Amino acid sequence: MTDFFEVHERDGAARIGELRLAEPIPTPALVDREDVAPPTGAVDGLVHHLLRDAGSLWSTEREDPTGNDASLTILPHRGLPAGTPEEVGEAFATEYPDVDFPSAAVISPDTAADHGTDAYVLSGTPGLVGHARAFVERVIEVREAIPPDTALYLSGVATPVNLGLLVYAGVDLVDPTRAVVKGTQGKYLTSEGESFPSDRTELPCPCPACATPVSEFDRADCVEHNVRALAAEVATVRERVRKGRLRDYLEGQVRHDPWLTAALRCFDGEYAYLEARAPIVRNTEMLATTEDAMRRVEIQRFADRVTSRYRSRFDAPLILVPCSARKPYSDSQSHEQFNDAIRYRGHVVSMTSPIGVVPQELEHTYPAQHYDSAVTGRWSAEEIDFVANVLSGYLERNDYSRAIAHVPPEGYREACERAEAATGLDFEYTVSDHPTTDTSLSALADALDGEPRYRKREREHRTVKAICDYQFGADAGDALFSGFEVESRIPKLRVTVGDEQVATQVAQYGVLALTLAGARRWVESEVPTRTVEIDDFVPRGSVLAPGIVDTDGEIRVGDEVIVRGPEAFGVGRAAMSGREMTESTRGIAVTVRHVEETD
Amino acid sequence: MSKPSPEVYEAGRGMDAHNSVMREIRARNDRTYDPREPTRVWLDEDNTPDGVRESLTIILNTGGCRWARAGGCTMCGYVAESVDGGTVPHDALMTQIEACLDHEREHAEKPAPLIKIYTSGSFLDEREVPAATRREIADTFADRERIVVESLPDFVARERLTDFTDMGLETDVAIGLETATDRVRHDCVNKYFDFEEFVAASGVAGDVGAGIKAYLLLKPAFLTEREAITDMKSSIRRCAEHAHTVSMNPCNVQRHTMVEELYFDSGYRPPWLWSVAETLEDTTEAPAIVVSDPVGHGSDRGPHNCGECNDRVQKAIKDFDLRQDPTVFEQVACECEYTWEEVLRRETSYNQPLAR
Repeated sequence: MTDFFEVHERDGAARIGELRLAEPIPTPALVDREDVAPPTGAVDGLVHHLLRDAGSLWSTEREDPTGNDASLTILPHRGLPAGTPEEVGEAFATEYPDVDFPSAAVISPDTAADHGTDAYVLSGTPGLVGHARAFVERVIEVREAIPPDTALYLSGVATPVNLGLLVYAGVDLVDPTRAVVKGTQGKYLTSEGESFPSDRTELPCPCPACATPVSEFDRADCVEHNVRALAAEVATVRERVRKGRLRDYLEGQVRHDPWLTAALRCFDGEYAYLEARAPIVRNTEMLATTEDAMRRVEIQRFADRVTSRYRSRFDAPLILVPCSARKPYSDSQSHEQFNDAIRYRGHVVSMTSPIGVVPQELEHTYPAQHYDSAVTGRWSAEEIDFVANVLSGYLERNDYSRAIAHVPPEGYREACERAEAATGLDFEYTVSDHPTTDTSLSALADALDGEPRYRKREREHRTVKAICDYQFGADAGDALFSGFEVESRIPKLRVTVGDEQVATQVAQYGVLALTLAGARRWVESEVPTRTVEIDDFVPRGSVLAPGIVDTDGEIRVGDEVIVRGPEAFGVGRAAMSGREMTESTRGIAVTVRHVEETD
Repeated sequence: MSKPSPEVYEAGRGMDAHNSVMREIRARNDRTYDPREPTRVWLDEDNTPDGVRESLTIILNTGGCRWARAGGCTMCGYVAESVDGGTVPHDALMTQIEACLDHEREHAEKPAPLIKIYTSGSFLDEREVPAATRREIADTFADRERIVVESLPDFVARERLTDFTDMGLETDVAIGLETATDRVRHDCVNKYFDFEEFVAASGVAGDVGAGIKAYLLLKPAFLTEREAITDMKSSIRRCAEHAHTVSMNPCNVQRHTMVEELYFDSGYRPPWLWSVAETLEDTTEAPAIVVSDPVGHGSDRGPHNCGECNDRVQKAIKDFDLRQDPTVFEQVACECEYTWEEVLRRETSYNQPLAR
């Protein structure tokens, strides 16, 4: 049972939580022991001194501790230093008493399990920090073994440069210990790394400790600065998590240290861990300015869904066009020019690094209208490879009578040629110099001469179906709502069946929000549902984790879910993943949009 | 959740796991040794109850420690120096003693009054050193002033000691007690006798006029720097009642040991020399000679401070060993004491080690 910790917001594996002590503490947080004084009075208040360590069982026997609501008590433990053989760790495994005050259990990657505490302290961390592969594997093992709504505390390892990665991995609590010890060694820490003040011409930090001239800057000043720098980084990272933009920050920041860069990449190899925790939609910008962006879940998932769920329902020629800086693409000047030339005679699919391909129906769907990247026209081999692969996969799933590539000669052209070679198709190229010159645009219009135009309503219908495929699974576009009509216009379509509204297109995310009628049709259809089974109550506004009996289907943050129980039927948006819903004892699980009593 | 499991059960499982792991680690060592050569021999000077004396120290290569064959202590790599396969016969042992005497004749001006014999096991265990060999060795050194022989308390028996005392030798048994805390000795060191057995051995020795030299281990695996100091101070005070000399060995990282496994994975750091100094300074009132000879000091595998002050602090410790004067430590200082103090404040079993 988790009584004294709650997760409020999620950004992948990173979370904004709350230690529910007498004075609530937002996490990720900088914490320390109650009985350890701040290294200098100057940093008093930057660190929460709330840990009560009941002590190690290696040195002596301990009584079961008495705790209180103002502190997080670390129960008597045997920490296992890095390198402790698994057999020894198991033989000395600690059994934790069941207590009614805020408590934490000390675990190692080998002994991680649910001990009924609010928080878990990972031992042996000095052996993990600095070793990318080991760090990633061990933290994932631990996070998967302990309940999702409990806090994970890593002691003695946080520095300003690694804090972002620790939080990204799923760490909620850190302490200033390493920053203090480094300070005593005269090592000056920043979010770029460490240096000796004596080797520097100037100190970059405006904190009070750094007001000391470099020549007089001593180790006590260094300790003070390091704690301040760490506290600042905790706040920076916490805000990034709140905004859903930690990854954007990290892709740049980890480059100051090779092991951090390696760890970020190792995490990208752990797709299942990150994907289960990555939201389906975000109402925020997504920065894609490094090659690592191609491997992030949001981008991989979009590419996967476009090539395995989505299906084109146009019988017009395929027209590949370059993406635009302005999103959605159709609002851009270049795409207006393309559309003027095309005039509804072709199916427009935008090629883009790092997303891959974006069919016109999905141009509002996260992250297609949310990403921003650095555009120079110079593509790396990896970008070309990625886009060519996604395009090839897309072409294998969709048949077109013709394929026209209205793309500029640089990376786009090469990706197209690679896809042609992979699929055996022949593209017609219509750009001689630049896609928006009169010559190119005329060539595009000429190529479409004689092709029939499709109507606006057809385009809108196909947009709804495409989003259904993307959001609910392959073929959902045809199976979810038969005989539907659309009202209003893209990107705010309303979907009706008969005189009942079943769904609305949400402009900010480009996904559908269902009505009760829509939810009922989902349940009745052959499309696999994502269902949250609740106890006998009628939820008002939200469903909390303790009210959940079970879940069905792979549920991610942001997914549409059916809510049903003995007394209620409803629909809403998941606020946590399916695993969290079943294993958590606290927190909002579903934001309910519509509900009705079924009794 | 249940209460912590009973001590006996925990100790048994812990011992099985330690032994199984240590057997596996030791099996990786494939070096063998010539049974006719001593492991090591050197000349030095030592503080004894009768004053500082020239000493001849002999590490006798016997069959090795019987306990280590079962697995043994988590920090001890000496078994790796024993001969392949088992016991060393009488003649080979005496050849080793002869080699040591050659060494002494070559390097010392006159025979050393103090003889110290270690075996990486128990000299008084008759499976390691047969009774006849023991008597012949006693005879060989009968003209010296004092002899120290290493043994586990189990083998401290009246008639094994009288072989030496009857020759008129001041006789000491060196016992690797490691710590006076049974829990730490069992769970961290994996050494399976109790403090009570050490006290009993001290009684047996006392009855025949022999003395006890207790060896303690500073910072076994799993203890933090502060816990190690606290445990050492209390151990020194407790065993000073039963030993005339206490020798504190700061743990070093020996090959083919569990401590080395931890060390390789960044899970162990040998103690700071400041911890040695702090302990010696704090226990001067204990009723025994307290000494320490930090082996491998200054290296990453041995007790060390920051790299700037290792030799100075080591020199103060050696000085203290001979003079027992705590003011020697007032003359050494270094910036790294600041780090050591924070380590003492902040190191826990789950975040150690905090500094290299």
